[in-house]
Amino acid sequence: MNQTRLHLFLALLVFSSCLLFVAFSVGSQVPEVKVVVNPSVDPKDLSVEQIRRIFSMRQTTWSNDQTITVYVLANQHQTHQVFSTQVLGMFPYQLDRIWNKLVYSGLGEEPIKLQSEEEMLERVSQKPGAIGYVAQPINVDKINVIKVLEK
Amino acid sequence: MKLIIRIASLIVGILFTTFCVAADSLKINGFVAQGIVQAKDSNFVNDDGDVSVKLTEIGVNSAYRFNSSLRMAGQGVYLEGGNRYPDGFRIDYLFLEWQLLQTANWLIKTQIGRNKNYHWLYSSTRDVPHTRPSIVLPQSLYFDVFRDVAIGVDGIVLLAQTDNKWGEWDFNFSYGNSKISDEQKENLLGTYASGKLAHDTDTQISVYWRPSLSKFQYGLSLLDADFSYKQGDSDTLSSGEETSQRIMFNLLYQGQNWEVASEVMRERVIVENLLFPGFQSDLTAEGGYLQAKYFLSSQLTLLARLDIYDRDRRDRDGSNVQTLSQGLVPGYFGLMDQATTGVTWKFAKNIQIQAEYHKVKGTARLAPIFTPNTILNDSKYWDMWAIQLMYWF
Repeated sequence: MNQTRLHLFLALLVFSSCLLFVAFSVGSQVPEVKVVVNPSVDPKDLSVEQIRRIFSMRQTTWSNDQTITVYVLANQHQTHQVFSTQVLGMFPYQLDRIWNKLVYSGLGEEPIKLQSEEEMLERVSQKPGAIGYVAQPINVDKINVIKVLEK
Repeated sequence: MKLIIRIASLIVGILFTTFCVAADSLKINGFVAQGIVQAKDSNFVNDDGDVSVKLTEIGVNSAYRFNSSLRMAGQGVYLEGGNRYPDGFRIDYLFLEWQLLQTANWLIKTQIGRNKNYHWLYSSTRDVPHTRPSIVLPQSLYFDVFRDVAIGVDGIVLLAQTDNKWGEWDFNFSYGNSKISDEQKENLLGTYASGKLAHDTDTQISVYWRPSLSKFQYGLSLLDADFSYKQGDSDTLSSGEETSQRIMFNLLYQGQNWEVASEVMRERVIVENLLFPGFQSDLTAEGGYLQAKYFLSSQLTLLARLDIYDRDRRDRDGSNVQTLSQGLVPGYFGLMDQATTGVTWKFAKNIQIQAEYHKVKGTARLAPIFTPNTILNDSKYWDMWAIQLMYWF
């Protein structure tokens, strides 16, 4: 009896291990997404890990103690999906899960969700300490583009 | 009366939604969920095994930041879960959070008040329907009878997050206790326990590691909880103590189409006196689940899970339970295994419907725990289904 139960558990472990090796790919024809900040933000470049930390809301202030205001686009927006997978190396549902945990367990706050890239550029340019991302050409003056440092 | 409360709560939830949209500067979030559930041949949801609407979860939370290092957060919930846990309103969490340190690589903060359990994969949002993989969580670890004790503590929490060349790390520590209501006491000890059950201390520690830019996450948590019982008038139980010590490992893989999660635990449960003067019990339980979610599309998710629990690792088929009770308690009260399959359909922004079916063998996680109800739970095999509609804001 005990052995049967042990075998069942082991079989499940093997099955799940197989699932872990499921390959995936992301289409190559994707727009380039730029990380943008308000000109008040000091750093001109950020590593992928730092950007991931900021958009996961693990880092809430810049090194000069200025509060970071994080703007994101709606989940279904293509730029959000490209930013999430290509820049952060995460799937949109992973970000959702992190933000849900923050909001519904009191741990922190979620980013401010916007509907369009135009709104993103406008809000980032107006809010000191703000960070966001866009794929479209930048036609607003008060915006700095962050250089993303690859590993 | 219960129906009026349920309707009133739904209205309050909707009003808060409207308020939330109107007041941009105030952070208010919440959720409203109602479902139907049936667990035939067991008392998991109700005593008669009929279809029940006791699957209501409503919550509203808010957070206020005083300055860059001090904030306050709270959430109130109204829950109805039948026999699973006590019904009604409660403060889910309400604490003051102080950020002790923030550098490029470290964030350390402390919370004082009623805190959430941040130590397990789903513990911090187990009452928030849209954040759960299923309506009923795997009972080996997310034991509903013990819900109010496991949900969090009145006390202190220390949280540290860091990033280094190996990846992201979270360290969590909590210390405190929780109040045990009369209904919770009955779920654990039975209706004839007239004394007072106290959760004296609860200490938990956990570590999470996400290797740099990896799709895997690994976690380890330790729990030590002490309880005491003071005998009441005409009580069938006697004064006694109980200690639970848990070690848990968890794994999470998040791919493009698949999410695989597993948590396994070993729990030593020591009971002194309680059932009668001089009673001694020292058992080590084992349990865990393996869960796979497949994302058919951004709207549709499929779920499959196997959950296993043995009350005593040296008596996995429960034969000792039967022998020691002189045949009064069947062996299947020593185990509870559960196969679950489910589907989630997110058909509109912030609205989804979840449906699931559970096939269960054994009754070890059914209330009351210390004095098994062999009349209502007279089937070794039983099943359960549930459908829940949920909205969040």
